This record gives sequence, C-alpha cells and structure tokens, in this order.
Amino acid sequence: MRIDPRSVPIERKAALLRRVDEVARALDPRIHQVTATYSESVQDVRVANSEGLHRSDLRTQLGIMALCVAKDGEVLESGFEALRGTDGFEIFTADAVDDLARTAAKRAAQNVGAVAAPAGTFTVVLSSSAGGTLIHESVGHGLEADLNLKALSVYSGRIGQKVASELITVVDDGTVPGKRGSQAMDDEGTPTQRTVLIERGVLRTYMSDRKHAAKLGIERSGNARRESYRHLPICRMRNTMIVPGASDPAEIVRSVKDGILVAKMGGGQVDVVSGNFAFEISECYRIRDGKIAEPLRGATLVGQGPKLMSEIDMVGSDLGWSTGTCGKDGQGAPVADAQPTIRIPSVVVGGKVT
Amino acid sequence: MSGRIGNEAAVERALEALRAAGIRSGEVYLRESASGTVEVKDGAIEAQTARGERGLGVRVIDDARPGFAYTTDVTESGIAECVDLARAMSRVTEPDPDLHVAAEVPPAVDLKVHDPRVAERDAAARAEVAFGVERAARATDPRITTFRKTEYTDAEATTVLATTAGMHGSYRESSCAASTSAVAAADGQRQIGFHLEGGRSVDEVDPAAVGRRAAEMAVRKLGARTFETAKMAIVLDPWMGQQLLGALTPMFSADNVQKGRSLFAGKVGQRVASEGVTIVDDPRRTGGSRSAPFDGEGIATQRLTLVERGTLRGYLHSIKTASHDGAPPTGNARRGSYGGPARIAPSNFHIAAGTDDPRELRRRFDRALEITALLNLHTIDPISGEFSLGAAGIVLERGEATYPVEGITIAGNLTHLLSSVAGVGSDLTFKRPMGLGSPTLLIADISVGGTSR
Repeated sequence: MRIDPRSVPIERKAALLRRVDEVARALDPRIHQVTATYSESVQDVRVANSEGLHRSDLRTQLGIMALCVAKDGEVLESGFEALRGTDGFEIFTADAVDDLARTAAKRAAQNVGAVAAPAGTFTVVLSSSAGGTLIHESVGHGLEADLNLKALSVYSGRIGQKVASELITVVDDGTVPGKRGSQAMDDEGTPTQRTVLIERGVLRTYMSDRKHAAKLGIERSGNARRESYRHLPICRMRNTMIVPGASDPAEIVRSVKDGILVAKMGGGQVDVVSGNFAFEISECYRIRDGKIAEPLRGATLVGQGPKLMSEIDMVGSDLGWSTGTCGKDGQGAPVADAQPTIRIPSVVVGGKVT
Repeated sequence: MSGRIGNEAAVERALEALRAAGIRSGEVYLRESASGTVEVKDGAIEAQTARGERGLGVRVIDDARPGFAYTTDVTESGIAECVDLARAMSRVTEPDPDLHVAAEVPPAVDLKVHDPRVAERDAAARAEVAFGVERAARATDPRITTFRKTEYTDAEATTVLATTAGMHGSYRESSCAASTSAVAAADGQRQIGFHLEGGRSVDEVDPAAVGRRAAEMAVRKLGARTFETAKMAIVLDPWMGQQLLGALTPMFSADNVQKGRSLFAGKVGQRVASEGVTIVDDPRRTGGSRSAPFDGEGIATQRLTLVERGTLRGYLHSIKTASHDGAPPTGNARRGSYGGPARIAPSNFHIAAGTDDPRELRRRFDRALEITALLNLHTIDPISGEFSLGAAGIVLERGEATYPVEGITIAGNLTHLLSSVAGVGSDLTFKRPMGLGSPTLLIADISVGGTSR
C-alpha cells in the first residue's frame, strides 16, 4: 500500500465520485442516472489461539463502483462496473476512474439498444474480459473442504481423478498482490498460499480450514475466512482462476460459425449437491461466421460444473480479472476471479423464446 | 455491567450532543439485540453461536446536508465521537431541501411482535427444534440421506428512535426460524431441498413442517432430465412465489421512481398487472415478521394497497421522497440495523389471496411447469426488470406431475410477468422472516430455456 486511504481527505474521495458521474453522463445522452459509490475499509486483524499462535494482518479494501441507468423510451437498462482491490489509494488513477465510468455507461447504453438473447443450446466463447464468475460458481464452491467432508459436493472423494478437460488447471491464490481476495493470512492465522486445485484436469486438493484439513487428511490451504469477529470461520475462496492456455484469443472467436461471445459476466449461484449453476451475463454479442455481431441482452448461462469443465475445448493465452463479494452461509467475503478466453462447444443459454 | 448507559439515556445523550453542537435537525437510532443459533448435523450439534450487540446511529441534517455515523461504543465518549463524525460527513454531501426528521410521537400499538418465550429457550431447547426438523425430513422419505445444514435461530431486540424535533418511540420484538437443506439420493443422482419457516413467536416454527417440506422438495427433483426450450405456463407455489415477489419491491420505491430507476415511474392509475393481482404492504399485520409501529425515521406505519386489481395506486415513501412529491410519507423508510441510514423498503409485502383453488390452477393448462428451484434470484435487475434465472421444475400434464427437469432457465421482464398472471390461489402464505407473502400463482407465456429444439 503506497497511499494510505486514511491520509486522503474525504473531499478528494467525493471528487472522484463526481468525476465518475460527469464522465458517464458525457458518454451517451441516454445515460440519465448514475450512482457512484466509494468504499474504504482498513482492518487490523489479530488471531491468537491456545496453541500459542499470535499473528496480525493489516488489510485494506478499497473500491469505487458505478451503476449507470440508460433510458430510451419505455426501456430502462443498467450497466455496472467496479474497481476494487487491496492496494492503497494509488489504484484510483485518473485513467482508471474514467475507464470505470465509461465502461459502466457503455454497458447501460448498449443494452438499451440490444436485442433480447435467444434461448437454447449454443457454442459460447467466454472472453477473458468476462471475469471469473464461471470458475467461481461452476467449480470453486464444489471444492470447498467443508462440503467435501460431508460428501455433499459433486467433487467429493474424487482427489486424483479426472474432473475436467486436460486443458484446465484451476488455482486459488491468496498471494496475488493487490487483488481483492488477497491477504497475508487467513482468519485462523494460517498463511495464505497458491493452491493448485485442478492440474491438467485432475483434482489435487480442496480449499480448507484447520478443522477440515485435519479431518480430510489434506494440507491446510489457508482458506478459513470470516466476515468479521461476529462470525465463525468457514472454507472460502480467495482469488480463483483458470490458468491461461495456448490458444490465441482472437482465433477462438474466429473458430465459431454461430455462437455467443460473453464479454462480461455478472453474479452467479450454484447448487453444490447437483452441481447445477447459473450465472448472469451483463454484456454479450452474437458471433456470426467468426465475427463479433450484434449485442444481446438478458442472457444467463446454466449448466453442471464437472460436465462443463470436461467439455471446454479451447483455452486462450490471456487472463482477465473481475471482483465480487461472495456469499456463503450468510457471510460475505471479498474475492477476485480470473480466466483466459475459453470456448464451450455447447451450453444452455437462457433468454427469450420467440 | 457497571457504568452502562441505559438505552433511553444513551439516545438522550446523543440528542443533547447534537443540540450542543448547534444541529437543529438530527436523529438518533439505537438497537440492542441478542440472538442464538444452533446448527445440527445427523443428530449432533455442529456449531452454536450466541451474539449480543448494541449500537447507535446518528444522522444529522446540517444546512440541508446529510451526514451519518454509527458506533457500537455506547459510552459518553463513544457517543460524542459518533456525533462529531456524522457532522464531519455532512460537510461533503450535497444539500437536499427535502430532508427532514420526524416531529410527531407515533401512537402506541400492540402488533404482537414480541413473544417472551423466544428468549426463554435455552441451548438445549434450540437444538431440540433443529433435531426435530432432521427427524421429520428422514421420516418423510427413506431416500433422504444427509443434510447440508439444519439450523434454528432466534433473536430478541429493542429499538429506540428519537429526533431533535420531538419524535420519540421504542419497541421490542422477537423472531425465530428453522431451516434445513435435505439431500436425497437415488440411482447415482443427488438433489437438495431447502425450506425455511419463521415468525415472531415460538408457535410459528413447526419442525415437522419444515423437515417434511425440505424432504419433499429434494425427493421431487430426483431423476431430473433436460428439457427442450419452450414458451409455456409456470406454477409458483406460495414459497416460490415469495422468492420472485421479493424482486418486485424496488420498483415500488419512490426513491427509484424519482431517480428514473423504476419501470413504474409515471404509471400511477395505469394498468401494470393482470386484474387478479392486488399487491399490499401491511406493516400492521398482527405478528407479521416485518410489522413495526413506526419506520426507521419514526413515521407511523400504515397498510398500503400498491396495486389494486392490476392498477398501480402508489409508491413506498420516506420523508424525503414524500416531501419531493408533496405527498405524505408512508412509513417505509426501513432500517434493520443501527449501521446505516434508513432506506425505502416494504414491510409485509404480499400478493393478496385470490379465489382460485391451487389444484385447479395446476390443471388449467394442458401443460405447465411447476417451479421447484430458482437460482440467481439476486441477479434480477430491478431497473430494467429483466430476469433470466436458473431453474428446476416438474412438468405438469393436465395437473398431474409427470417428470422433473433441471438445467433450465426462465426468462422475461417483471412487468410482463405481472401482466401474465393467469390465476391467483386462495392460499396466501407468509411464515418467513423476510415478511413476504404469496398465494399459488399461475403465470402464462414464460420463456423456458433448455436444449435447442
């Protein structure tokens, strides 16, 4: 952390929000409402236990979020973007803040003019810009150790087995500098680390806290997290990603004759017992003859985690990040997710049936 | 505890500090709560937590500029710091002439929201409720193999609110709820069924009913297959109806209407739903989960008909939005905690009971899809009204359940959904901590996404 946010006057923070408002409105006349939010938290976390452990961690969480509303006649659409991380106030450069405002405004304006997404099975390319909601929902939750001790997950008892395509390596990493899910130690005092969960399609381990690591006989991975002193620690993700592969991202798009390109994902949810997941798409386009065509709105992807992971047939060499707040058992946790551009040959897209 | 400042005294201290600082318009909210949760698994206690907290939130309106701060340090110095911080916040906010604080003392009313028996339950009694839920689920069907989580939780709270303009009020409330996620397994497939019931009094949590429903939901999904994309009618039972209903509430917020973020802006007096749809917000419901004598700004609550036989009648207002529209506030500035200022929200928001027999609704169309699970409800966009949700369901042929389906989506727009309600059951059900109520709903013409035809 270079600039401690506590040393920055509140007037400067308010000025950043006014800038977001101004830039977003200037982008398109149909932008008629902008909500910009600044949030800052600095936590001094201490963990001590009866085994003699005594560790501390100073955690900064900063963020600016922009929600834009575009209106065209009777149609309203919204566009959201967030810039969040664990570094200091220096992350809010003029360019970064302007980009954030333009991205949110562009999304809202584009969706107002977009046609409704179709429903059915499609070839889908998830651009690296889409962020990592897919990996978080379709795989991540199912690899949390507590669910596996109870044999509740579709991944229970499968360590050493093939659970995904050989192109897929999944990592949960609490040590990536500045990312929203990074911290020096977890909330039981275990240092965080880079944990390889799935290596070339083979399940290696689960994300654990002390109790579940011991019970399952796996190494502690530093994934015990708690929302605050009010809550008990539970097994949670940190920064979760699909590791980049070898394909040229542009080539992946060109390889699709008729399909859908997802440029940004929204929120998602998974039923870990059946593995069924759904996630929202906040920006997507039709692909026709290998070219990006018209924007679509109102789409959702649904599928089953292990099935989807075994079907991915192209993995790009790029990597894109997104941030979120993951909810589990009533506790929120700041996380980041990342993925390269990937191709799914056939997946159900929920949209309008004509 | 020695030296503890009482709740009423703490609020009075904060008001004095506001007056001493020359703040003419200020509001102090205090909430003290205690809660207990027990989580069980296969007849053994897995986790138990007890929580107690007290906090105070101070809002100042200084030259029309709002500032807010809160503290859990309810001491002489903690209160003084909180007042200073709220004043500091007001230095950077925009002035808004519509901001005021409540001036009238709301009339006393007993809404039966406090049951002293809730706090009398000890840890063993709490665990027994949760064990009862598990036993009932297992007794319902032998295919119930385990549980994700079975929980009983209860709470008691005291709220005190006062303003520099003379409003003053307080009330006590209690709540309790039991829930479980039961797992059913058969033929290599596993499915989960969740159910939660709760209310203000211990009588409202029936462990047998909670366990039975969760087990039935899990078992009904076994053997689920894929489904072809179709446009068809869906059936939402009261519990499913409640889940979808929650997504409608932001459209009724006058704040969203005034900011151009609601599809209901400018639609008062117009048709926004099918004729069978009447939507009511009733904070005066006896024993209602969200019933309260006054809202988070101290305005007396009132029953509101928001949609009457399909026609939009009005919005949910705070003092600020009401002042902006030149209308009376409706008492819908709600706050669940001292940790934030009031926001517009409904109380016991529900679709009024209709006259249709729920069984008849399931038979009305040759083919319909009864929804058994909805995924991603939190992604419904209240601004555009668009939703596209993951779902599971059971295909009904002339009212008879045939086979379960999964990996599907239901998509559309909330306004279209309201206009497509083809039947409203007579079985209005609340019994949930969120205060939402719904009868069985039959909705025609919904896009169900699955495999391509």
